[in-house]
Amino acid sequence: MRRGLISWSREEVPAPVLEARVAKVQDRMRAEGLGAVLVYTSFARPGAVAWLTHFVPYWNEALLLVPQSGATVLLAAFSKRMHGWVTGVSHVGEVQPVSQLGRSAAKLIAERVSAAAPVAALELDALPWPVAEPLSAALGPRLVDATALFASIRQPADETEVRLAQRAVGIAAKALDAVPPGPERASQVLAAIERSARLDGAEEVVPRIAPDLAKGTALLRAEGEMPLGERHALELSVAYKGTWARAARCFAAQEPPSWSKARRWLAEWATQITSVSPPPPPGNIAFWSLEACIGGEPWSVVASAIGPRGTVAAGTLASFSIQLQLADGPWLGAGTVVVGGERPGRLLA
Amino acid sequence: MSFSSACLRAERRERLAAAMAAESIDVLVVAGNPWRSDYLRYAADLAPLCGQVFALVDREGQVQVVAEHPVEAKRFQAEQPELRVSWSNSPIEEIEGAIRVLSRRRVALAPITAVPYRLATGPLASTLAGATALMDRLMLRKSPAEIDAVRRAASLADEGYAVFREAARAGRPEYELVAEVEAFFRSRGCPENFQILGSGGREVRGMHPPGERRLAEGDLVTTELTPCVDGYYAQICRTLVLGRPSEAQLRAFSVYDDALAAGIAAVRPGATAREVARAQNEVFRRHGMGEYVTSEYTRVRGHGLGLYVDGRPAVLEDVELVLEPEMTLVVHPNTYHPEAGYVVHGDSVRVTVEGCEVLTRTPRKLFSAGAG
Repeated sequence: MRRGLISWSREEVPAPVLEARVAKVQDRMRAEGLGAVLVYTSFARPGAVAWLTHFVPYWNEALLLVPQSGATVLLAAFSKRMHGWVTGVSHVGEVQPVSQLGRSAAKLIAERVSAAAPVAALELDALPWPVAEPLSAALGPRLVDATALFASIRQPADETEVRLAQRAVGIAAKALDAVPPGPERASQVLAAIERSARLDGAEEVVPRIAPDLAKGTALLRAEGEMPLGERHALELSVAYKGTWARAARCFAAQEPPSWSKARRWLAEWATQITSVSPPPPPGNIAFWSLEACIGGEPWSVVASAIGPRGTVAAGTLASFSIQLQLADGPWLGAGTVVVGGERPGRLLA
Repeated sequence: MSFSSACLRAERRERLAAAMAAESIDVLVVAGNPWRSDYLRYAADLAPLCGQVFALVDREGQVQVVAEHPVEAKRFQAEQPELRVSWSNSPIEEIEGAIRVLSRRRVALAPITAVPYRLATGPLASTLAGATALMDRLMLRKSPAEIDAVRRAASLADEGYAVFREAARAGRPEYELVAEVEAFFRSRGCPENFQILGSGGREVRGMHPPGERRLAEGDLVTTELTPCVDGYYAQICRTLVLGRPSEAQLRAFSVYDDALAAGIAAVRPGATAREVARAQNEVFRRHGMGEYVTSEYTRVRGHGLGLYVDGRPAVLEDVELVLEPEMTLVVHPNTYHPEAGYVVHGDSVRVTVEGCEVLTRTPRKLFSAGAG
């Protein structure tokens, strides 16, 4: 569950920026004749509501109703006494504490949305059944999907979001610097990065660790004790005020010479990540993926060496993961970029 | 993967297979995500860090997994090489395809809380309630190995609270306290913890994730800590004062201490969740504080613990679930006090044949911590 710093800084995320994002949705709604858009949020799918309102649920769920015009309404499955906290950390027109999200949303729609207008839910197929069922029962064929609509306006990122990602990257880099020299167990590494990142104001920290690169490159969750090999790698996902960034670093008692070449190549490759002719790597690319926030999840895979290779718009804020097979063993990298177009992209560092 | 975790996995798989056989289910399709991973953990020992994950659990032991992210798929495969793991940008479509292949077998879908709309309206819709109930029954009463995991989590919660007390000093922002506790839990190999807190005086009406507020002398500082060991949560709730507690704070605390004792005394096989809630609430009513045990001021008087942080039963006066031996829950009469502010006080317990065993050991007192 989310347990880092959750607060809304009006300087870092000005209310007009959030209002402009909601207005973008409303413009598209009017063009498509939608009466309302529903956006679900939970610990697992906080991305869309955080982007629109700055609200991030530390647990439980909420449903944002975006009307065709006017202010948003957040139906939050929190008790009434949490109302003050919710309004303090988010920018919404109205907050209603409710016990049953779907049923309450259906009632609200009946009261405030034209009976003829379709209502679109972001990621309708993926909505949890207890939320979707009452909506489906009340709206029937009026309930449609808003996934494509939302994805079409979600990227490129605005400068506010890029600045938050830059801060998250900084928190991640400092946390990786805090790893003690010569650790023997994963818990030593993870304790150091948790402490550093959370003291630095991270909203969330999600580490994954490849404990022994000589044995495998899978990034594990590290539950219980885990001995570290002479070469190991750490991937760190950090959220800062609703915006996520990713970084990774390989560690070795004696760093192989190929690693510095890999790092230099990565810095260049990252700025040309969607190019048809990226710079040649210093080894074989075993895997890469590019993930961006285009819906409820912080990241969805938008391009990959083994999966979809969609068109990624210039200016998209994205994180990449890559594995190289170098002459002296595997190497893992990750980073956060503003994807380039005609001009090179920008690696946040 | 620890030995205890591997034993738990094997034991759960065996219990699930037996329950599926009893209900004539060949394959169970279990959905999960980072928010609701409890059923997935029970059925396939998977704990997603991102994206949707589905497991098709065959009664004979084979498990097929579809993850939404490639790095997660690779992790699951490394954690359990015997699984058949794939990833897809459209995991719901992918799992629908996998279910279609099973058309001649008896397939069921769970749990209601995590199954997505599209699957729940498909051909397995009629199985959702029954399969969820099957898993709920399994998850409610713990095996000895599961109890051991909850016990270890409770012990870690005690240690975590000691770290929290040490970290609580006037001038520190709330989020720094959580940073210290998280670092401690990670140093013990604990990857997950549910923690909220509150700080201040009479104006504080509840707990929340840590904010930027700096602690001040005289503050009541509340927290509930819920570390997770081998997937199982245990919780402790305590309140401290920065500096010396005032008479009003001590007077208020004694009500919560009595209520917690009354709630724990009511935990025994055959008692209902209602009776445990009522025992706590009656203490407040005797002190003329009946309104503070309503939903205006508080949520629940405790809840189940296990693979989910806030499991069944909810300890409320309208919940009739009957307690049975080897259920685990937290009893916490947390609510607002008009003279002191929000106070929390709670312990994790295990229902035994005779009554209950309190798993958390931190003294039940209003702690005093450094005022800077």
